[in-house]
Amino acid sequence: MSEPVPAVEIRHLVKDFRTSFRRRPLRAVDDLSLTIRAGEVYGLIGPNGSGKSTTMKALLGLMAPTSGSCRIFGKDSLKVDSRDEVGFLPENPYFHKHLTGVETLRFYGRLCGLRGRALDDRVVELLDLVGLTDAGGRRLAGYSKGMLQRIGLAQALVQEPRLVILDEPTAGVDPVGSRGIRDLILALRDRGITVFLCSHLLEQVQEVCDHVGILCGGRIVREGRLDDLISIEDQTEIVIRRAGADLVERITALVGESPGASIVRSGRPRTTLERLFLETTTGKEGGA
Amino acid sequence: MNAHVPAGKRRGGHVVRILTIGAHAFTQLARMKVFHFLALFAVLAIASNFLNLPQHEGPESAGAAVLRSIKSWSLGAMTLFSVVIAVAATALLIPKDIEDRTLYTILAKPVPRIDYLAGRLLGVLLLLFVSLLAMDLLMTAVLQARTAIVLGEQRDMAAALGWPHDAVESLLAETRAAGPGWPLQGAVAAVFVRAAVMASIALLISTFSTSTLFTTVVGLLVYFIGHFQADARDFWLQGGEAGEGAAARLASLALALVLPDFQLFNVIDAVIEGSVVPLATLGRLVLAGGYYVVLFTLASWFIFAEKEI
Repeated sequence: MSEPVPAVEIRHLVKDFRTSFRRRPLRAVDDLSLTIRAGEVYGLIGPNGSGKSTTMKALLGLMAPTSGSCRIFGKDSLKVDSRDEVGFLPENPYFHKHLTGVETLRFYGRLCGLRGRALDDRVVELLDLVGLTDAGGRRLAGYSKGMLQRIGLAQALVQEPRLVILDEPTAGVDPVGSRGIRDLILALRDRGITVFLCSHLLEQVQEVCDHVGILCGGRIVREGRLDDLISIEDQTEIVIRRAGADLVERITALVGESPGASIVRSGRPRTTLERLFLETTTGKEGGA
Repeated sequence: MNAHVPAGKRRGGHVVRILTIGAHAFTQLARMKVFHFLALFAVLAIASNFLNLPQHEGPESAGAAVLRSIKSWSLGAMTLFSVVIAVAATALLIPKDIEDRTLYTILAKPVPRIDYLAGRLLGVLLLLFVSLLAMDLLMTAVLQARTAIVLGEQRDMAAALGWPHDAVESLLAETRAAGPGWPLQGAVAAVFVRAAVMASIALLISTFSTSTLFTTVVGLLVYFIGHFQADARDFWLQGGEAGEGAAARLASLALALVLPDFQLFNVIDAVIEGSVVPLATLGRLVLAGGYYVVLFTLASWFIFAEKEI
């Protein structure tokens, strides 16, 4: 049986930018190769200027590679039809402020070939999905940053793409909105949609991604399954609820009797500040 | 996997995408209150009614002179507004899309770059069409009303002076010819074609320009130079008989090939003076305008297709 076509396949991508006549060109991406299988959530992380956005733009055909190739579901990303199945949310999107939320989604839907009843239904569905049903009739000029990010996500999903590319999707969004976007990414994964996420918010990437690539100086320096990359091989973690002092004492003694084993750290695990914030402001548990 | 195609979704054709982007550009410009200049035009059109022109001819010619003045002011204002709107509005759209990053989201959809450019141009052309239509209606209404007044005054004058019937009819016919009519609509069409050519030139400049101001200034400069295109062409055709060298001839040839000949649009002045522009002349004007619009749009695409966003 043949291998399924990867959602994203980048091979030896190099991107140089011309600076001035005398100086050498600036290499933003240097021989980058990566493959994202269909249905994965892939996080590309790296410091500012490491080449994340350039990689995304090359993948979307917004700029031509100096050398190498990018393919989306097997189609060359420089060809228009490669974008039939792609939704993209750029960093800090502004959109057309003169349009309402509904008009914005209708505009992008029409560009993707949606029309009639199917478009109307899709707009209603998306506004509900991103929690903007009540604000759909308002112009984007009056939207907050978080609302703009959510309408941006909605436009990215308008044609039910099989691949969603998100560039810093939670930049400038408050913790509640950020959690909403995280939940949405997980919901997309559950529906089998591939997500390619660029971010430097490492905690968020850790929460949602299956695979991670670390980009530095335009090169992939580490890549693999998140669990494999961040697990500490020679340590085991057990978290016990309502453990009495007696039980802790017995476990400690048991560990002491085992040759080579030692307790590295014990105590009460801490919640995260984000979880505390969400519980305080929304009254809901902030997730696992 | 969610690989199904939702009901109602199919890859839209070029026309659908261009119309969608065009309608969007039109809405964008309309909501930027571009139509407010129409109020200024209304003031100009009505004010031109009250101008007291110096009299060099007999009193019987005064009425037709007023009508010519209204046409002259109105068509002049139409030309000014349409050219400024064509250049400024086109110069604004693409840089604004890049600055706001909306271009990313549009081109990240299955939208060929030529569709984007053609759609943006269509939006500006729609704006020009609606603006000129509104101005045309206002001008025609003002002219209609004034022509009726002038005809009444001339009948009274002829009756008082005891003019023969044939002379009265001849005067009235001359006045009617100076009033609203199809030649005037042809002149408005010529104004639209000229503005369309200017919009396509601004589109071309904006594909490599770095600012709206640069596009606007260069666009208006091209408009100015375009009025000398015919002189350049004539110079070349005469083969530099005046003694100029080959370099000068080549420069003239290049100018003539690259820039549209805006002297073609002098038919507007002929209409103001009461001449009837033959349909064939108007047809040639439309064809020439269409040729330049297509030429500059394709040149824009040639540059924009390689542009890194």
